[in-house]
Amino acid sequence: MTTAPILAARGVSKFFFGNRVLRDVSIALQPGRIHALLGENGAGKSTLINILSGALRPDSGGVEVDGKTYRALSPRDARRAGVAVAQQELGLTSQISIAENVGLGDFPRRYGLIDYGDLARRAKAALDLVGLDEDLASPVDDLPLGRRQMVEIARALFREPRVLILDEPTSSLSAHEAQTLTGLLERLRSKGVAILYISHRLNEVMRLCDYVTVLKDGVVTADRPMQGVDAADLVRLMVGRDSGHLFPEWTPVADREPIVSVAGLSSSVLRDIDITIRRGEVFGIGGLVGQGQEDLLLSLYGALPASSRSATFRGRPGLPRSVRAANDLGLAYVPADRKREGLHLAHAIAWNLMLPSFARAAALSLRRRGAERGLAAQLADRFTIKGDLTRQVQVLSGGNQQKVALAKWIPGDPRVLLLNDPTRGVDVETKREIYGLLRRLAGEGKAIVLSSSDTPELVHLCDRVAVMRQGRIVANIERQSLSEEAIVAASMGAETARAAA
Amino acid sequence: MSLSDPVRFPRVRARAILGSRPFLTVLLVAAVWIAASFAKPGFGAFGHLRYLFELGAVVGLVAIGQTFVVIAGGIDLSVGAIITVSAVGAPLVAIPGDGSGAFAILAILAAATAIGFLNGLGVALLRAHPMIMTLAMATFLQGLLILIAGGSAVSAQNPLLEWLGDARPGGVPAGVIVWIFASALALAALHATPFGARVFALGANPLASTLSGIDARATTIAVYAISGFASGVTGLLLLGMNGQGYVGIGDPYLLSSIAAVVLGGTSILGGAGTYAGTIPGAILLVTITALITVVNASPGWRSILFGALVLALLLLSGREARRR
Repeated sequence: MTTAPILAARGVSKFFFGNRVLRDVSIALQPGRIHALLGENGAGKSTLINILSGALRPDSGGVEVDGKTYRALSPRDARRAGVAVAQQELGLTSQISIAENVGLGDFPRRYGLIDYGDLARRAKAALDLVGLDEDLASPVDDLPLGRRQMVEIARALFREPRVLILDEPTSSLSAHEAQTLTGLLERLRSKGVAILYISHRLNEVMRLCDYVTVLKDGVVTADRPMQGVDAADLVRLMVGRDSGHLFPEWTPVADREPIVSVAGLSSSVLRDIDITIRRGEVFGIGGLVGQGQEDLLLSLYGALPASSRSATFRGRPGLPRSVRAANDLGLAYVPADRKREGLHLAHAIAWNLMLPSFARAAALSLRRRGAERGLAAQLADRFTIKGDLTRQVQVLSGGNQQKVALAKWIPGDPRVLLLNDPTRGVDVETKREIYGLLRRLAGEGKAIVLSSSDTPELVHLCDRVAVMRQGRIVANIERQSLSEEAIVAASMGAETARAAA
Repeated sequence: MSLSDPVRFPRVRARAILGSRPFLTVLLVAAVWIAASFAKPGFGAFGHLRYLFELGAVVGLVAIGQTFVVIAGGIDLSVGAIITVSAVGAPLVAIPGDGSGAFAILAILAAATAIGFLNGLGVALLRAHPMIMTLAMATFLQGLLILIAGGSAVSAQNPLLEWLGDARPGGVPAGVIVWIFASALALAALHATPFGARVFALGANPLASTLSGIDARATTIAVYAISGFASGVTGLLLLGMNGQGYVGIGDPYLLSSIAAVVLGGTSILGGAGTYAGTIPGAILLVTITALITVVNASPGWRSILFGALVLALLLLSGREARRR
């Protein structure tokens, strides 16, 4: 292609505290092209985005905007050149309204005051593009994660960008929302917008993107048109070796006694749910994002008020009334939003690994540091969390943080693991480790409940899958009839779901 | 096998300790003391320094409770009022048959703890903001004091408290001995028990703590009860040292307790800190008060000077590092 790029990095290197994060990286974003940026967590993708948007200054090399080279591009320069970034969630201010979030930092003014009328009009236009019909005045806090992600994208579109950078836009989107996004990106491409697209979902990338740059440990390992590349090639370029199979062999466990059974579970979101959880099973929960999956897990975990017609947890009647009670019954919960709900970011890795044990132990007993360290080191070994455990947990990559959030429950020997989208934003290698681990735990006779927005995961890992829609379970699909089509069809409410069930 | 694994748990470096906030606060105290001894003869005399520790014990004891509450992510604005209630209340609850005064002491400590417990209930169950809850409690207590004690000072006839205020076994003031024991208990509870870990967890991230099985309500109620108890002890010690209690006796200790906690490096946002820093923080505060007293100024100017100096010291000893 001979088109001149709008935005390009030329031979960029970046160091953090003496560690090289990027080495001599070049990338060129051309108008009318969807450009994929691939790499495992920690490969340097976020750093590169930050350099392209002016948030970080490269240690050597430069950024070129419309042919003009900047040694130190400022965020202002980048904005003026029409570069907009849709961050991977949490870029939003949760207490202010959707419209204000969309326009934040770029409010239309009249007589020096914010022109709310104009803001609402333009925000509405941006939100229409991403297919959001929520009330503009409602706070972002009220939205489920997937919708928040769409607001984040609308926020980038609000600026009518010439270069649009999307950092893992689909990691928390449902199949339907992802489809809307795909359509939108294709339209933007035809209008000549340069798009940089970061995602862990290879199928999606291969379908959508024209060009691909692969980063591995801060070095570009591929920079070429997408045509003629297959998924295995890409994984090899990211990981540096053959990925083999992502999912472990599925081996059914013989002893599948019910361990939890609930009938008529209802709450403000849930509508009359019947559910049975069995030992030795990975039980999937699918559906579009925000159909009550999280409420279901939290209700079983005693963290949300709910009622039921009948409930038995490990032989005892009734729903757990508190998280403590649920823990005592052998339930453990790994949240989707690990930074806010799962971990204490500023505390040490070892300390995070011990937290449920602190909650369980007698309040005024003496802690035994030696035993704590031994246990933490064992857990870290088993979950392949490398290095110094006295570091703050926030220095770990997303995948390793997820392993900590999961590993901390193991000392309590939980019988039922409730997992809320455990592989969201996690790199391929860690995903594979987590999959293997879940199968192993099921093999040991634990019950795994896996709510996931990643449909292939449900198909390949689960013994059966319940699909939720609007607070109900609309289909129960057994292993032999599991397929992506069956799950998607049931989530969208297609008639075939009944047949599959 | 991995107990002493240097990769998993590297040895703590001397530099990390020397650069820690508690240690820096100790250095600051030392520097102020050395400067003051040169500037004013007699400041560095043993008797005077011992006196400073005696005053420091009062601030240090209130600040025990404040440290727990602040680390748990709250704040207790009722400590001054609880001190006053204890100091004024102890003579009132004396009963004739109680020669040693032990009954009055136990009754007051129970009452102070109960007040803290109520603060905790309000914060944990009614979900009142800690500032509102404890400020309302303080106002309530002040009204109560005016009703029962009027405006007059009450003298204590309590042998145990008199001993606490005056005795110096082995040359060490009894109040300082109480402070040393209480400090040891506080440090152990914070850093060597699961309860302490829960307090840190709650202050750092309440949501993640609850989802990890920590009983946030019980922990919250416990820290406010500890603060009530610590304020009760402080009130009794003050009464012993002063000989009489009056309305307003506890007022200066509200700012002091919070300032001592923050000067010692505990995050006002919760989740991080240690009582080991509060100890030199308390000493630093009483040192400033003593220095201001020798400057011959009116009470109004002293108060202004004290407030300004506390602010300056906080800026000097490092502001809150930005988080997130």
